[in-house]
Amino acid sequence: MRIQVLPIFIGVFLTTSLTSCKKWIDYDPKEDFQITERNYLSSESDYRTMTVSVYTPMQWLCRAPLIGDIATNDAASGGENASDVLALQQIDDFTHTPVNNILTELWQEAFEGINRANYMHQYKQTNPAGKSVDFAGKEALYGEVYFLRAYYYFHLVRFFGDVPLFVDKRLSLSESRTLQRSPKADVYAQIERDLTAAISVLPAVQVQKGRITKYAAQALLGKVYLYQNKFDNAAQTLESVIAANAFSLVSDYGSQFLSSGENGPESVFEIQHSNNSPYYNWGVPNRGQGNFAVQMVGVRGLNGNGAMPYASGWSFDLPTSSLANAFEAGDRRKNVAILNIEEYKNANPGFGITYQVAPFKNTGLYNQKYHPRKGETSGQVELNYKNNFRVIRYADVLLMAAEAFNRSTTPNDTKAQQYLNQVRARAFGDNLHNITATGAVLRQSIWDERRTEFAMEGERFFDLVRTGQAASKITGFQTGKHEVFPIPQLEIDISVLTQNSGY
Amino acid sequence: MKRKIFFLGLFMAFLLQVTAQTFTVTGTVLNASNSEPLVGATVKVKGVNKFTQTDAQGRFTLTEVATGSTLSISYAGMEVREVKASAGAMTIELGLAGSSTLSDLVVVGYGTQKVTKVSGAISTVKGADIEKLRPVRTEEALQGRAAGVNVIQSGSPGSKPTVLIRGIPSYSGTDPVVVIDGVPQTLTDLNSINASEIESINVLKDAAASSIFGVKGGNGVIVVTTRSGRKGQKAEFNINSNYGIQQVLNTVGVLNATEYAAMINEGSTVAGGPVIFPNLSSIGLGTNWQDQVFKRASLQTHNVSARGGSDQVTYFLSAGLLQQGGIVGGDDKSLFKRGNLTANFNIDLTSRLRFILNTSAVMLNGRGVQENSFNSILGSALNYDPTVTVANNVPNTVGQYGYSTRILSEIFNPLTKLDNTYNKNTGSKLYGKAELQYKLYKGLLFTSRFGYTKYDGNARSFTPLVFWGTNNVDNSMNPDGSTVAGRFNSVAHEKTSNFNYTWESFANYDFDWKENHHFETVFGFSLAKVSGNAAGATRQDVPFNSWEFADFTAATGVNNATNSNAVNGYYYQYFRRNLSKFLRANYDYQEKYLASLTIRRDGSYAFGTDNKNANFLSGSAGWLISKEKFFKASWVDQLKLRGSYGTVGNENVNPQYVGIVTGGPSYGPTANSNGYNFGDVFYPGATVGSAANTALRWEKQIQANVGFDALLSKRKILLTADWFSREVDGLLFTPSASLYLGTVPIPTANIGATKTSGYEITLGYNDKLGKNFLINTTATFTTATNLVTATNTDGTAKIFGGYYFNGQNQSVTVFEKGQTPGYFFGHQAIGIFQNAAEIASAPAQAGAVPGDIRFADVDGNGVIDAKDKTKIGDPFPDFTIGWNLNLSFKGIDLTAFTYASVGNDVYSAWERNGNYTNKYRGVLARWTGEGSTNDPRNPRYSFTDANSNIRVSSRYVEDGSFVKLKNIQLGYTLPSKMVKKVFSSLRVYAQARNLITLTKYSGFDPEIAGGILDTGVDRGAYPQARTFSIGLDIKL
Repeated sequence: MRIQVLPIFIGVFLTTSLTSCKKWIDYDPKEDFQITERNYLSSESDYRTMTVSVYTPMQWLCRAPLIGDIATNDAASGGENASDVLALQQIDDFTHTPVNNILTELWQEAFEGINRANYMHQYKQTNPAGKSVDFAGKEALYGEVYFLRAYYYFHLVRFFGDVPLFVDKRLSLSESRTLQRSPKADVYAQIERDLTAAISVLPAVQVQKGRITKYAAQALLGKVYLYQNKFDNAAQTLESVIAANAFSLVSDYGSQFLSSGENGPESVFEIQHSNNSPYYNWGVPNRGQGNFAVQMVGVRGLNGNGAMPYASGWSFDLPTSSLANAFEAGDRRKNVAILNIEEYKNANPGFGITYQVAPFKNTGLYNQKYHPRKGETSGQVELNYKNNFRVIRYADVLLMAAEAFNRSTTPNDTKAQQYLNQVRARAFGDNLHNITATGAVLRQSIWDERRTEFAMEGERFFDLVRTGQAASKITGFQTGKHEVFPIPQLEIDISVLTQNSGY
Repeated sequence: MKRKIFFLGLFMAFLLQVTAQTFTVTGTVLNASNSEPLVGATVKVKGVNKFTQTDAQGRFTLTEVATGSTLSISYAGMEVREVKASAGAMTIELGLAGSSTLSDLVVVGYGTQKVTKVSGAISTVKGADIEKLRPVRTEEALQGRAAGVNVIQSGSPGSKPTVLIRGIPSYSGTDPVVVIDGVPQTLTDLNSINASEIESINVLKDAAASSIFGVKGGNGVIVVTTRSGRKGQKAEFNINSNYGIQQVLNTVGVLNATEYAAMINEGSTVAGGPVIFPNLSSIGLGTNWQDQVFKRASLQTHNVSARGGSDQVTYFLSAGLLQQGGIVGGDDKSLFKRGNLTANFNIDLTSRLRFILNTSAVMLNGRGVQENSFNSILGSALNYDPTVTVANNVPNTVGQYGYSTRILSEIFNPLTKLDNTYNKNTGSKLYGKAELQYKLYKGLLFTSRFGYTKYDGNARSFTPLVFWGTNNVDNSMNPDGSTVAGRFNSVAHEKTSNFNYTWESFANYDFDWKENHHFETVFGFSLAKVSGNAAGATRQDVPFNSWEFADFTAATGVNNATNSNAVNGYYYQYFRRNLSKFLRANYDYQEKYLASLTIRRDGSYAFGTDNKNANFLSGSAGWLISKEKFFKASWVDQLKLRGSYGTVGNENVNPQYVGIVTGGPSYGPTANSNGYNFGDVFYPGATVGSAANTALRWEKQIQANVGFDALLSKRKILLTADWFSREVDGLLFTPSASLYLGTVPIPTANIGATKTSGYEITLGYNDKLGKNFLINTTATFTTATNLVTATNTDGTAKIFGGYYFNGQNQSVTVFEKGQTPGYFFGHQAIGIFQNAAEIASAPAQAGAVPGDIRFADVDGNGVIDAKDKTKIGDPFPDFTIGWNLNLSFKGIDLTAFTYASVGNDVYSAWERNGNYTNKYRGVLARWTGEGSTNDPRNPRYSFTDANSNIRVSSRYVEDGSFVKLKNIQLGYTLPSKMVKKVFSSLRVYAQARNLITLTKYSGFDPEIAGGILDTGVDRGAYPQARTFSIGLDIKL
């Protein structure tokens, strides 16, 4: 017995400890069915799939338009009480500080978009495994990538001014804390480079709705020029969009804000949202395919029978009477932009409407363009509204062009009037409200027109800052400080960046 | 008298040795505590195969015993005694196990060690003490009994407590490793062991003791040894039964309906709103929701076991059933149920080859309620509108219970919520080991052991359609009982399956060199794998909206264009692999000078090729100073000095690689989502989803320990004291990285360091006063201070935790450099602004009006901002004390166990703080005008709060120190004369657990478990119950 057992023991002992050892603790991510960098970007399909995800972070920025409204006299923060989403409350009161979770997220999310675009750029010639993958339409695909990078940088520069600028590659952990802020002008120069590159390769028409087109890139470039007061460039670029005759103003202004009006003839660039892939993560509620801002702007506790179209929300971003009063008599846009819930309830007794009066900063008015509507969400209902965000409408192209022609080195007020009055004619349904003024009066008319045309679309704050009207039109605005938002404190602490003045 | 017999015996033995080879030994074995005879005690002649058992009078006779032989006398639950065989009638008294530590063996890794030879730091809890407590989970028995072990319990039936051995080395993964009969398991697995099967628990605390477990030993090791039979033991049967009732100790003082209404009126009017309740006089006391949700619950345990052995085989067989209901909702809604079947066999196949087979089958069953948040059952009971009636009295609405017309989301009628809570978890676990031992020759033993744990879980939950109340935003059912458009009920299933195994082979070689130099050595290897997978499915449209039909097969949901959630499924799998080699040598010179050396080389699949393996080394030394000739103190029976130093590791990370994630929205922590819609068609995307840190290596702990053990005053007093320090180097830590890197999760790096040090003292006393009165008492004292000494070089890396919601998402705990891990971080509330002048002269505090809290300007820059946040509390105690007292007089025994925790803070985070939610009574003492109060806990009350009085601040920090009478038990053992015809022993007892809690804390229970970053944060945590029970212990 002893003779039989002993060799077994010793045999087992030696063989296992000597042979199987090394292999046992080796690891290949494939054992966990994980795709790694080495395996990816190996085909046209990989390149196309990865480009799709460069679009994704745009959806996460859905709360940026709320800030564009709330930081002006056009909208109140609302919410449940003074501490409900403190980040927005403080911006409304102009008491915001570098500690602001929404601004922090907007910062980080835009940089994720930039890193995703940079990763594509980094492996444009050869993939991570060192091979080059060429296919028809690759350049046009990269036009989308460069547009998106420009969009993210434009978002950052509008909000924060000078920001870290990097374009070569996705940053890794070792590049943490290595960058400083680049001057705003350098960032704009990069945005122009990216958009110019995109325009040269993008197609005028994309089969898939929501894909970046050449016109979207031109319209954004026009806007970027306008923000830099490069009016001649802006006029020229925007004129090429208009001249292409690819877009038109929809006759029923309100129809374009409905689900059925998405990606319509007036839509130059829309961020797409959907309720098709329901999402649920309250830790980061804004990062699904849905538009989280829609939930935020709805009337609280809104109920009614099946015929009533609206769903309830959280009463943020409440239009003010100041905005309501800015609409001239007969302006059809007022009742599209603003939902006066009590009037609506009384006008529609058949709906059996009940609702909760906004508990904080109530104005009785709501953002109707993005108000939650029944049947437009799914799953976790708060997080999955399908409403696209209209970034650039053709009306914007017209008004930007009008402003650019008015402010060009050699102003062309006739053209400016023409474009402005196109927008006004649609708003009033007649030509009786056409503007005939010129010069500075015309310019002010264009600016005022932007307020009503883009009411509750998140443009107002940036327009006021851009045109130097902010201090006179926004209560609490301090010149020299509030033109930009503070760099997030967390980033300052970690990356040792400079802060914007005044914060 | 006894001494005389002894000398006589020696004399006789001496004579006999000269004159004869063998003789007959007779004697009686008595229970030392009551001098009753012990029936069925085993009396064995050491070294030869000769034994007998005592008869009904406790008597025994052994013939042909060689002169000079030693007898070993043993009896279940009693200490084992060894005496020299003597002629004439011997009287041998056995004390309770644990009363003497002299000849005990301690189970250490890959072997046992005589307790006197141990030079590492080990705490032992005996089976007898565990049996007295009848814990649901075994950790309960360690609380206060094992010095150096801090156990923070939760009240939820069967839930895992926080267990810290010697402080907090890290921010995560602080669970000690659990080794059951030599097989490594996890702390989670302690939910499945039947406490009555435990022979002893040894807690290995320092590097010398735990480094043989290498990578797994970093947080200490809990070694559980289960019972086994003895050779030649007649079958011994034990039957225990215990039945108890649990109830809540205390409820939290919230406002009654009238007070609530008045407060709501004030909050509204101060904010410029209307009066909400115009007529306060008609409101009355309203409903106390806590009284509605707390129910009486049962607690019962029943065990039957048998053990014994023949010449070749010993066995231990046990069957047990435990059922604990929860006091939140009662047995119907919260329950933990466990059935155990255990069979342990030791079989001597030949005189050299032994086969050991331990097998335990466990059935785990349970259901639970939502816990520990403002919208849980308890959170709702605390926060819900007290003016709502229990019964629904609104005509034409479905629903049994009343509802609020003001609270329309988040907080619900807790009874409706309880009623609509449906879930069931069933699990089966099989664990144990198969082990071969081969004794090559004297002192050399080969062992090969395969230990395993197999767990299969099956969970089912049902989310019904519910009408919460008119206009409630979460309604999925209309007031008339119809379904809200677009809402569905749903059933969810999940099946989990794990299989973990460890295969270890090692050789023990014990030898003497030149007679006085004694060596015990072991070397071997260990190969371990953890693996598992899970699959789940959900489906909508459960027939009849009922739990009875809540099953995937009965549900009818089908995905369509507008609803892709009607049927869903998922699957995932995971694994880990380790390989280790180890070597240990223990040395002693005449049991006087002790030394030990351990080397272990660990390999883990989790690290990159450069850092796969790491070496851990530790050593210890001891000196039994009382054995020296110069040692003269006669009152000291034994004094041992000990010291140890060494390293252990931690591999609590997953492998890193630059991964590409594909598909759609991500639910991961950073929601680094993918995919996009073009024209409302979803296109999956791909992006970089993880990052790698190639320099990642093992986390190492350097541990030092100095201590002594003393037996004093004729072994009546036991004193053990230890000082320890632990330093973690290369702490696995998620660094803070620039936000401009984006949202890809930052990989773990070795960037932190922590330092922990402390003392622990055990003082025991046992004595016999007079003939029948026995006292046995032990007190333990445990303290540890913890400090994070490094994170990033600049200290910016922080781990936030302790999240809660009170209208805003708040985080109260932080792990960062220069502080205690998991300390409370917030503003210091220093008073109340009495008037505008005070605000004007104080540091600028945005939004403050008179009556608001004044916060401290910690950085002195004249502005109250985020930089003024500071340490406002520490959830971990300064020290803990456990005091165990056993008294017995004849057949009566009394056990009392008291546990005290001093200096632990609690952060009260259960208040939702909505306009219409209920509030803590403290609000009645609020600021109402200049001079009314300056207590920063009691600012003015208003619906609007521009000052953010609800921010994280010392306002919510309370002293959570407590003293609990955890267990008191009075038993009576019937005189053996009365029962001997049927039983060998019969004991009845009454027990009360958590009878008394002394604390200043205003919530349910200051003991709040939850890991490093959640301990002490009370979001309405499940309180421990008070239990009254009666029980029966029978031996056959």
